[in-house]
Formats: sequence, C-alpha cells, structure tokens
Amino acid sequence: MDNSIEIESLTKVYNGKFKAVDDVSLKIGRGKIYGLLGQNGAGKTTLIKMLTGVIKPTSGTAMIAGLDLNKDALKIRRITGVVPQEYTTDGDLSGKENLKLVADLYDVPRKDAEERIETLLRMVDLYDVKDRYASAYSGGMRKRLELVCGLMNTPEVLFLDEPTLGLDVTTRENLWSYIRSFEREFHITIILTSHYLDEVDSLANELSIMDHGKIIVSGTSSDLKKSLKGDTITLKLKNDDEFKIVQNFKEAIEVKKMELGDIRIKVNNSDVVLPELMKYLSDHKISPQSINVRKPSLDEVFIEYTGRNINAEQSGKDYEKLMTMGRGAK
Amino acid sequence: MSGLIPLTIRDLKRWYRNPVSAVVGVIQPIFWIVLFGSAFDITRFGVSSTTFFEGAPDYITYLMGGILTIIGLFTGMFSGVNIIWDRRLGILQRFLIAPINRASIVFSRILSSVARISVQIMILFAVAFVIPNGLKIVNGFTLMDGVILVSAVFMVSFIFSSFFSILAVRMTRMESVFGIVNLINLPLMFASYAMFPPDLMAPWLSHVAKYNPVSWSAQSIRMVLIHGTLTASEAHTVLIYMLGLLALALFMLVITYIISNREIRE
Ligand SMILES: Nc1ncnc2c1ncn2[C@@H]1O[C@H](COP(=O)(O)OP(=O)(O)OP(=O)(O)O)[C@@H](O)[C@H]1O
Ligand SMILES: [Mg+2]
Repeated sequence: MDNSIEIESLTKVYNGKFKAVDDVSLKIGRGKIYGLLGQNGAGKTTLIKMLTGVIKPTSGTAMIAGLDLNKDALKIRRITGVVPQEYTTDGDLSGKENLKLVADLYDVPRKDAEERIETLLRMVDLYDVKDRYASAYSGGMRKRLELVCGLMNTPEVLFLDEPTLGLDVTTRENLWSYIRSFEREFHITIILTSHYLDEVDSLANELSIMDHGKIIVSGTSSDLKKSLKGDTITLKLKNDDEFKIVQNFKEAIEVKKMELGDIRIKVNNSDVVLPELMKYLSDHKISPQSINVRKPSLDEVFIEYTGRNINAEQSGKDYEKLMTMGRGAK
Repeated sequence: MSGLIPLTIRDLKRWYRNPVSAVVGVIQPIFWIVLFGSAFDITRFGVSSTTFFEGAPDYITYLMGGILTIIGLFTGMFSGVNIIWDRRLGILQRFLIAPINRASIVFSRILSSVARISVQIMILFAVAFVIPNGLKIVNGFTLMDGVILVSAVFMVSFIFSSFFSILAVRMTRMESVFGIVNLINLPLMFASYAMFPPDLMAPWLSHVAKYNPVSWSAQSIRMVLIHGTLTASEAHTVLIYMLGLLALALFMLVITYIISNREIRE
C-alpha cells in the first residue's frame, strides 16, 4: 500500500441541506505531512471528523491504512491519533491523569503507559507541571497536552486540526518543531488542517486547498507556486474604464478583477514588466491608488484558486474562535 | 465493555474532588430524612404509626424506603447532566475518537451514579439511626432483607440514571434535562407510596401509584425494614415488586445499550 489514506467522494450534508463537505476525493501518501488549507467554514474540521469516526458521512467512504471507514471504524480508531480543534482534555484532571485516561481508553498496558506518559510529557516540556490540573495550564501548555494525547497510542495516522490556532508566534514555531519530530521519530502520516499559510508551507510535504467543502487544488507547495506561471501585480483603480484600459496592457498574461475590486495582473517577470506598466499607466493618465508586486507564494496560490485572500476578515474570527474555544458553543 | 472502568474512575474522581458536589451529596440525604421526617410526620397529631404506617414503629422508619428510593431518583439525573456537560466542554469528542464501546460512555455515568448513591445511602442510614424518633429495627434484619434493600435501591437508581442518560445521548442543552427533571421527578415522588401508604391517599392517586416503580422499591424496602422476617404473603408482594423492578431495569439496560451505542453524538 502506497497510500495511507484514500478518500472517495466523501460528502457531509448538515440538516439535510447544507453541504459542508462536497464530494471530496484525495490520496495521501504514507509517512508524509499533508496539509489541508482553507478558510473558516471551508469544511476542514467536518472532513477530519468524518475520517476519525466522530460523525457519519452522508455518502462516500475512505480507506485509512487499508481499513474501510464504513466497515472497520473501531480498528481505524485504534491506529489513529487525533488532536481535535477544540480542547478535549479534562480540566478537572491533571496533565498526567489526562494522559493516563487516554492510555486506558486505548488499552495501553500499564507498564508501557507509565513509560510513554513520561516520554511524551518530557517531549513537550510538561513534565514539571504534570500534576497540575489541566484547567490551570496556559493555552500553549494545554495545546501541547492535546498534542501528546493524540500520540498516546503510537498511531499510524495522526490528525491535527488547527494545532496552533490562537497561539503566539514562538509557541507556534515550538509546536511545529514537535510536529516535525513526531513525523521523523514515529514515521507516521500526519494530516494537518490550518488556515495559516506559513504553517502549511513550512510543515506540509503536500497540500490541498479546500473551499466551500470542495478540494480546489492539490500538490506540493512548490508545484502549486510554479502553477501560477509568474508574478502578480495587484492594482487598486478608480473605475471600470481604467480596468478596461489595463486589460489592453500587452505584457500582461492575464488581467482579473477580484471580489474586493482589486485588479490582478499576471506577468512573466515583474522586475522587467513593472517599469513598463508604470509607463503604460501614466501614458493613459491612470494613477492607481495602490500597487503591489508579489512573487509566487502560497498566499498567491490561494488567491489564484479561490478568488479570495485567505486572511481577509480573518483576524476578527480568530478572536471569536479563541473566546469560544473549548466551550464547544453549539 | 471496553472503556467502562477508566471512564467510571474518571467520573468518580471528578465527584470526590469537587468539594461542592461531595458536600452536597453528603448533606442531601440528611436534609431529606430530617426535613421529610418531620414535615410529613402526622403521628404527632396522635395518629398511630402502627395502624396507619403498616406497623412501623415511627414515621421515619416508614419513610426510609421512600427516601432511599428518591435519592436514587434524584441522583440519577446527574448522569444525564454530566454527559451533556462533557459534550459542551468538548471532552466527549476524546471518548468518541477512542476505540471503546461507545455505550461505556453512558454506562460509566450510570455506574458512577450508582456508586455515589451507595455512599449517600450509608450516610442516610447512619443519620437515621442517630436522630431522635429515627429508624428503629424492631423485628430483626436478615441477610435476605439486606439483599432486597440493596438490590431495590440499585435497580431503582439504575433505572432512573439510564432514563436520564438516554435523554442526554443527543441533547446539547443542560436546561432540557433540568426541565424534564422538574417535570417528572415530583410527580413520580408524590404519585407513589414513597411518603404515604395507599390508605392515606386519594383513591385515584393510590391506583396510579401502584404502577410507579418508585412505589415498588419504596414498598419492598419498607417491608423488610419494618417486618424483618416476611410472612408468605408479604414475601409474595415483595417478590412481585422486585421482579417488576428487575424487568424494568433489564429493559432499560438493553435500550440504553442500543441507543447509546448507535446514537451518541459529539
Ligand atoms: N454540527 C453542524 N451543524 C450544521 N452545520 C455545521 C455543523 N458543523 C459545521 N457546520 C458548518 O459546516 C461548515 C464547515 O465547518 P467546519 O467546521 O468543517 O469548517 P472548518 O474548515 O473547520 O473551519 P474553521 O477554520 O473555522 O475551523 C461551516 O459552514 C459550518 O457552519
Ligand atoms: Mg475547523
């Protein structure tokens, strides 16, 4: 088996009408870190919940490590580790007790469990606070505890749903290095969802962009960047007449108007083309409100394929999510 | 049932570590016995307890069967409340992810409720013996009596714990459970022989109470506490009640298993 996970036409319809995940098919290779990138509400968590047996798919299926999601649910749960988006540790138990509970739920033999708990706690620097109640952990500590809960059964496949949501930069980078070391040390397949481009870019060997429940595009980060075929110049113009003039700019490979009114111009080599564009604009008496030049990046990939900027209207939502995190406001 | 023991232990840990719930759990049975024991004690108006309360030496001795049963009824609702609590905190997801029999998520709650109830019962007995005009065992207490008492309380606790747990399998709101508790607990308590014998009740009420499992448990416990060794006809009555409780408990066991295994959601 080359593929650790094969998803076939997985679909989830909520309340009989809303398609949160829409006919997703995907093959994920063994021993890789695979990123699922998408905005809030793209359907990442719903997809993960189906793959981990928390909710039932409306239709479709998946094979995980050779096991059928619709037939071998229990076996799949035995060999997968999950770190859900929300807190799932018990605040009224200590860090160590939480891990012990998870070990018991996975039938880890007592002696192995003791050893593994200590190793894992040390690995994420929680050994010194192991006897403190989880409710008294800071956000980053709690998230680290969640991470190792997902490793307690030494899984073949690990699902990480937004593992660094709402953490500060240092803590995030810290967690990234833990995640990389999990992959190196345990040779497991990791599926990681995120709406942080840098996170997916730096961790994932391969990724898919998800939008409105669908997979829009998949590939390695560098392949996706190459697929952009050049640099992007973004302009803010005053009116549609100006847009029509810019459309006739000869060096442009493509000129597109975005949802928020920005004009995106695809060019081969912005270093050479930009001066020409400036001249063209001034010849036509157009003075743009802003100009922005970007080399291929995951950001650009996201905008190219979804027509939206991933970080637009994001920060407010992040804050909201933080405030309700762990409270499962349903 | 995989997962049952660790989940039960976790639930009990949360209980005894929480000073409020532990203290409430201890004080509650004392309140019941002291308050109900004097509020409903009509023997102080010269009513003879032996005549009106089925031969009981005093009202509290009569009331014990009722109180033991009601503790089962009221503590049972917590198993439902706690499942919803776990759901709202997100902890339930951790259990749904784990390779356990999902019924154990619910049964651990029921088991720990039953365990808590056992503790409360021991406290209740201790208090009932100590207070003035309290519990008096006049006709002896055999091993058989003990078995009947304990199994009646366990069965009734199990029945109500599982009832409230089934409700919680899909609910997301705490208020819903409390609403249902308010709706059914008091009627279940008053439309039963928990407080008063059939002769002191309105005829229609006493007729309804006959079919109430609270009555079955209360009557069985009370008969063994008051009479010690039972006559053949008393034993027959107790046997019928106990079989009724057993049938209901088994029914709840099967239903709870099926529903919790299939229907529990995050
Ligand atoms: N239980 C539910 N009932 C109805 N709709 C739901 C439910 N859970 C999620 N949804 C909807 O499904 C869509 C996808 O949600 P999902 O949580 O999978 O998104 P996500 O990609 O994980 O987003 P985020 O980045 O915010 O975590 C959203 O529009 C959400 O409102
Ligand atoms: Mg999500």
